[in-house]
Amino acid sequence: MLPWALGALAFLAAGIALADSVVVDKSEIGFTMKQMGVKFDGGFRKWKADVVFQPKALATSKVAIDVDLGSIDLASSESETEAKGPLWFDTAKFPVAHFTSTSIRDLGGDRYEVVGKLMLKGITRDCIVPLTVRTDASGNRVAEGTFSLKRLEYRIGEGEWADTETVDNDILVHVRMVLAPAA
Amino acid sequence: MSEHYDRGAITLHWVTAALIVANLLLGLSMVALPISPRKLHWYLFHKSIGITIFLLTSLRIAWRAIRPHPAPVPMPPWQRHAARASHALLYVLLLVIPLSGWLYSSATGVQVLYLGVVPLPDLVGKDKALGDALRIVHVSLNACLFAVVVVHVAAAIKHHFIDRDVALVRMLPIVKPPGIVHS
Repeated sequence: MLPWALGALAFLAAGIALADSVVVDKSEIGFTMKQMGVKFDGGFRKWKADVVFQPKALATSKVAIDVDLGSIDLASSESETEAKGPLWFDTAKFPVAHFTSTSIRDLGGDRYEVVGKLMLKGITRDCIVPLTVRTDASGNRVAEGTFSLKRLEYRIGEGEWADTETVDNDILVHVRMVLAPAA
Repeated sequence: MSEHYDRGAITLHWVTAALIVANLLLGLSMVALPISPRKLHWYLFHKSIGITIFLLTSLRIAWRAIRPHPAPVPMPPWQRHAARASHALLYVLLLVIPLSGWLYSSATGVQVLYLGVVPLPDLVGKDKALGDALRIVHVSLNACLFAVVVVHVAAAIKHHFIDRDVALVRMLPIVKPPGIVHS
């Protein structure tokens, strides 16, 4: 009886994917845009990520990220106020951007691909995030990746900003998640 | 005894003067604009004019070394010293103000794209506190420049209408100095 119970317990433990704990102060979500011909970096100060990442159990691995768009960091309060306004993120109506993974693929080596849905300003589109996953000196798993999105597909920068000569349509989003090893 | 300035010095003087007036007005106008594509374009023009003033001033200093200016018109020693000091201060400001603007732009994370074509290297990293400080430095230096330009113009008018000497005329591009100059 006991071996069976232990076996069942082990099976159950394997089935319940334990959420990784994200080391928030070492992780970041940022972006690079091109404005008047030069690159400009920004980021988000507040976001929340629920990550379950097991290279040997990718089917049960998943990522869900909520980004507080009002926490945008553009190093200028004037730009930040504009970014929260109706022409850009319209944070009064759409305060949060959601990303939810639908599948995670192993591309071999330390490379993975997270396929999911990104909901931004009330618009949901498919989104693929390529990641490299490495282990740092303290045993944390570091997942890093960059993907490009077209801001106009999400109506980011409407009206006078829709002209991509001032702000380019392509925005590079950088994600770096540091996952502490399960206790 | 006094001679006319040479054509190169005269051209550099008046082109610089026109650019200074244009850029002071542009600078004051653009900061008052709400954030918009127009504002970003005006910033780009402002930075390009500023860097041009820096380059022209460097050229003027080199030109002056090759073709020394004519001796000052006769005036009391204190006025000669004041003229010398204010001219030196003008050169310094015309070099330092564009540099402070370039530093300020770098600190706010916006790389300077000279004439919309030549990317200039960032002089400092993005730093909000440093950017705020540099904005104050840039504005204060421009207030100094405005004050010195007022003194410079007032002195030119005084030389012309009160002292009735050739200090102003010999810098004018069209009017030839009267014959007495060479007597």
